[in-house]
Amino acid sequence: MSDKGRPSKKFKYSKEEHRASSAADDNSHFADDLDDDLRDGEGKKRDFSKLELKPDHLNRPLWACADGRIFLETFSPLYKQAYDFLIAIAEPVCRPESMHEYNLTPHSLYAAVSVGLETETIISVLNKLSKTKLPKEMIDFIHSSTANYGKVKLVLKKNKYLVESPFPEARYLTCSIPGVNGNLGCLFFIYYIKPMVASGIKKGVNGSDGFTVGKSAGEIEGTHEDLLNEAELAAAAEEKETHSFEIDPAQVENVKQRCLPNALNYPMLEEYDFRNDSVNPDLDMELKPHAQPRPYQEKSLSKMFGNGRARSGIIVLPCGAGKSLVGVSAASRIKKSCLCLATNAVSVDQWAFQFKLWSTIKEEQICRFTSDSKERFRGNAGVVVTTYNMIAFGGKRSEEAEKIIEEIRNREWGLLLMDEVHVVPAHMFRKVISLTKSHCKLGLTATLVREDERITDLNFLIGPKLYEANWLDLVKGGFIANVQCAEVWCPMTKEFFAEYLKKENSKKKQALYVMNPNKFRACEFLIRFHEQQRGDKIIVFADNLFALTEYAMKLRKPMIYGATSHPERTKILEAFKTSRDVNTVFLSKVGDNSIDIPEANVIIQISSHAGSRRQEAQRLGRILRAKGKPQDRVAGGKEEYNAFFYSLVSTDTQEMYYSTKRQQFLIDQGYSFKVITSLPPADTGPELSYHRLDDQLALLGKVLSAGDDAVGLEQLEEDADDIALQKARRYAGSMSAMSGASGMVYMEYSTGKKLHGKMKSKPKDPAKRHQLFKKRFG
Amino acid sequence: MPQVRIVARNFMDMVASLPALKLDKLYENSFICEAILRSLPSLAKKYVLQLLYIDGPVTAKWLEEWVLPDGVSKHKAAVDRLVQLRILTETVERKKEATYLFNSTFQRNLQKHIVHGGVLPRESMPSNITVRLPSLEELDAYAVQQWEFFLLHLINSAEAEKSTNISSSMMKVFQRGLLSQRDDKEPPKLTESGFQFLLMDTNAQLWYIVREYISNCEEVGVDTADLISFLLELSFHVTGKAYNLNTLSDRQRSITKDLADLGLVKLQQGRKESWFIPTKLATNLSISLADSTSRKQGFVVVETNFRMYAYSTSKLHCEILRLFSRIEYQLPNLIVCAINKESLYKAFQNGITADQASIATLHNGKIHLFFFQTCKMQIISFLQQNAHPRVAERTPTVPENVTDQMRLWESDLNRVEMVPAHFYDEFPSKDVFEAACDFAREYGGLLWENPKKMRIVVKAEIFTQMKEFLRKQKQ
Repeated sequence: MSDKGRPSKKFKYSKEEHRASSAADDNSHFADDLDDDLRDGEGKKRDFSKLELKPDHLNRPLWACADGRIFLETFSPLYKQAYDFLIAIAEPVCRPESMHEYNLTPHSLYAAVSVGLETETIISVLNKLSKTKLPKEMIDFIHSSTANYGKVKLVLKKNKYLVESPFPEARYLTCSIPGVNGNLGCLFFIYYIKPMVASGIKKGVNGSDGFTVGKSAGEIEGTHEDLLNEAELAAAAEEKETHSFEIDPAQVENVKQRCLPNALNYPMLEEYDFRNDSVNPDLDMELKPHAQPRPYQEKSLSKMFGNGRARSGIIVLPCGAGKSLVGVSAASRIKKSCLCLATNAVSVDQWAFQFKLWSTIKEEQICRFTSDSKERFRGNAGVVVTTYNMIAFGGKRSEEAEKIIEEIRNREWGLLLMDEVHVVPAHMFRKVISLTKSHCKLGLTATLVREDERITDLNFLIGPKLYEANWLDLVKGGFIANVQCAEVWCPMTKEFFAEYLKKENSKKKQALYVMNPNKFRACEFLIRFHEQQRGDKIIVFADNLFALTEYAMKLRKPMIYGATSHPERTKILEAFKTSRDVNTVFLSKVGDNSIDIPEANVIIQISSHAGSRRQEAQRLGRILRAKGKPQDRVAGGKEEYNAFFYSLVSTDTQEMYYSTKRQQFLIDQGYSFKVITSLPPADTGPELSYHRLDDQLALLGKVLSAGDDAVGLEQLEEDADDIALQKARRYAGSMSAMSGASGMVYMEYSTGKKLHGKMKSKPKDPAKRHQLFKKRFG
Repeated sequence: MPQVRIVARNFMDMVASLPALKLDKLYENSFICEAILRSLPSLAKKYVLQLLYIDGPVTAKWLEEWVLPDGVSKHKAAVDRLVQLRILTETVERKKEATYLFNSTFQRNLQKHIVHGGVLPRESMPSNITVRLPSLEELDAYAVQQWEFFLLHLINSAEAEKSTNISSSMMKVFQRGLLSQRDDKEPPKLTESGFQFLLMDTNAQLWYIVREYISNCEEVGVDTADLISFLLELSFHVTGKAYNLNTLSDRQRSITKDLADLGLVKLQQGRKESWFIPTKLATNLSISLADSTSRKQGFVVVETNFRMYAYSTSKLHCEILRLFSRIEYQLPNLIVCAINKESLYKAFQNGITADQASIATLHNGKIHLFFFQTCKMQIISFLQQNAHPRVAERTPTVPENVTDQMRLWESDLNRVEMVPAHFYDEFPSKDVFEAACDFAREYGGLLWENPKKMRIVVKAEIFTQMKEFLRKQKQ
């Protein structure tokens, strides 16, 4: 009885979680919808033809519209300068070959100001580059967006977070902001009303002072009490005043969020004057002479260290463009202790390796902290490489791990280096950031998109986007591989399609279109072609575990998925890299991110995660590392295309719809997908599997007889993208999907059941849950 | 007679399709002879010049000896064209082989023309009278503007601001076949031909309009030979020079007014005199499309992400692009649009019919097939022809994935085959149902059956047999 009851309860619980998180997301979703409307709405055609053209407009590279949209000609002689400028002040919308589009947003302007651009500079440069007179609306928008930027700073001093402002008028301005008496305003008001000289004597006044002032300003609710941990008051002793006050580390993120453009509009700058930091011990590390950052890596670093200090923010570079070198370079410039966070154990190893490869850091000063290896560095400064999970894990740890965590917590880090920031769920970030104290945070990613649009969270969690490289420019420069992308259309066989359409198979839809014999044959054909004719190394991606195993077994190829152990993964990857006999490897979505397989140059994707643009881009990223000689790679060279990305879709199924959605990001970066409709060629016969109808029917029987849970999606704990996708799917889904009876929700139910045997007692407090369950519910 | 749809032929093609009598009459004008000569394929040109001073018939065999074996098809095409234009007449005498006789009027006139040179019936006016003539650029701009303005009116665009001088009845004539109106309440919509018309280049559009203009005159009962010879004559005037209106007949003057509305000439009024200035549009009339190498600069950039950037200030371009894309931004000299499935389907709806070919019979009894391009091809070739110089050199000018996708979208529309059919329900018994199934199957007309509910769908073509069969079953 209880066997049945418990899982279903858990199921409910997780559903509630879903709902709660989606409710929290509603705002951002709404905004997203609006944005979509603007992009798609027929009636929203915007006519700016009345703008006045400058007489020498031919020599100027861009148009600027009143609604913030900017168009840039890439063939203009001023393109390079204009691109660098635009990428600093605006958000790229799409960047194909001849014409780029950008959007000017409050966030992007915040990023501009934080890399040191001033309002007047932004306007005058934009005006210089524009073919038309700048629309008044745009000038006003820039003024109003940037008026308060850069006036407030967040600094970490002696392990305490301080908010500083050299502008005493900032607090008066705050008062004049509408809603200052409301909850949002109040918080800020309290902080600002208590100025202190930064270098002054500390005088602990426990909260009380703050409240009296706060109350006089307006109604203050008890909830603010905890926000104000320790208000400090000091007498003004010097003539150059810097107003500052300390805030609770746990509330840093909150305060930052409330200061963002869409709230108080006093976005905080985070800078770290590492050269003058005498408190934290220096780490002796330099870049090795052979580590020559490429121009775009140099550029992104210069944005970070623009004024001799280190700014917090995100650097966006395509996969394979050398993100790790940027990270290592940043760490060697700051020369303080560095905490490096990666998404999984494999990539922890890779990061540790990168540090040793590019910098002169001593062996004993770099250590890995994972569930398998718990190292500690010697000396008073060093680099720790670990995973997000290790830091954020809330359950009970081993004694040794607890000690290390304690050390990490108590240390003041010079740099918090975060890899693949797009994958990590916001709540995990919150935890990591509130647990670790760092002067400077650097996020690295290739794809700043998420289906749940939580990307904006990163703005206050880490900082603004400092730099974003243009994919096509890097391809042209030969820095990343020139990939030929293709979408292979595989018609469903009659029998599979008939089953696909049946209502009772709604849970097996995915398995049916992935196991479509025509798709299998196309996949087999491509593997053979690339292995035998070109001697390529191939990765096959499948999200669907059932399909992954079926394909891999039938074709006798190695595979890696969530349950594959770390040593086994390493072994398979090693064989793939070195052995001549292992040329194809099957990966589930564990391979999407940060597994570095530079040898691979062909990807075949047989199943994917619904409409995730990020997954598509990340998977493409696995083969972006440039191969061969640079002169062969450029346009017209011997091997103009030496990497291939195939996405196999079954026609007339959901996959077609998802596939269009998924490609959007890459298409916006200027990639194009060629549609191939005749694979395998019509004359191929029994040399490929499932040629005979009997075999096809046997396969169909296998799919149909497999349990619903076996044919579902693989669940990984880092997958916060799920929630939004599922939501999006529900809108368009069938009745069964709308009732939550299909797909991934069901999956959670059954995994719970499977694990039930290992569960000893029902956890009462979610925080004390066993690690396994923590992952499911967290 | 099958309806001749729009196809990008040229003025000379139309001349060639005139009845024999009219052609002979036209050849009395030496300018027309020259225009015809110019319009000929190069081999035909050579033949005309080679035969120009030969009197009497020449045998076909003799002509054939001029060509190498691999030039036979060209030779045939050239001779056919000459016969079609009645420059050569073919006679097949009994037992003997075919001989060709040169058209004597044409021959005489061309000989004269070559010896004495062409003299226009009017001289250009001295510059002291015509004080300020427009520069060639101004004149070009004027012609383009007039033409665009005319087209906007033609498609009844809301963007057309001023009213035009062209009479509404004349406009109706031009709109015939290009626009259709289901009822009075609805604004007229572009037809497939209209759609294709807009995507054609200016010369092709012009000749279509001129042809309509000529056939309209014909319907009113005016002799068109005069009109045609005047138009051809006009094409020998010098662009940008002023010609006195007094040198024209009344009828020609009224034609000139219409031509001014189309942008073929510009009319100017001096203190005493008034004159007309032919524009490029007029002088291009006699150039056949095939050798119009002077293509105007393109303006469209299509990107791999299905976005389209058109460097244009023209409202007409905007209207044309709107036919198959969604306009997103209009900037002073740039139109930003997006091509997507919906916008293309809209275009296909206007355009595509199952029958993509139609037959036009020419006067000499030979049947020529003109294959009409589908809309998609029209769109693609429009995009290719108007490619911005930045992208014109790259191959392909329009990204492959975009053209492929357009083709796929189009073929998507053809996946469903419509078969008129009848649905049969409520059979009295299983036996009758099965018998009916068998019967329909035998005739190859059974499309679908559901034995459980006893329902079938049968092709409409065997409806009568089916009816008969069921009637018998009842008895």
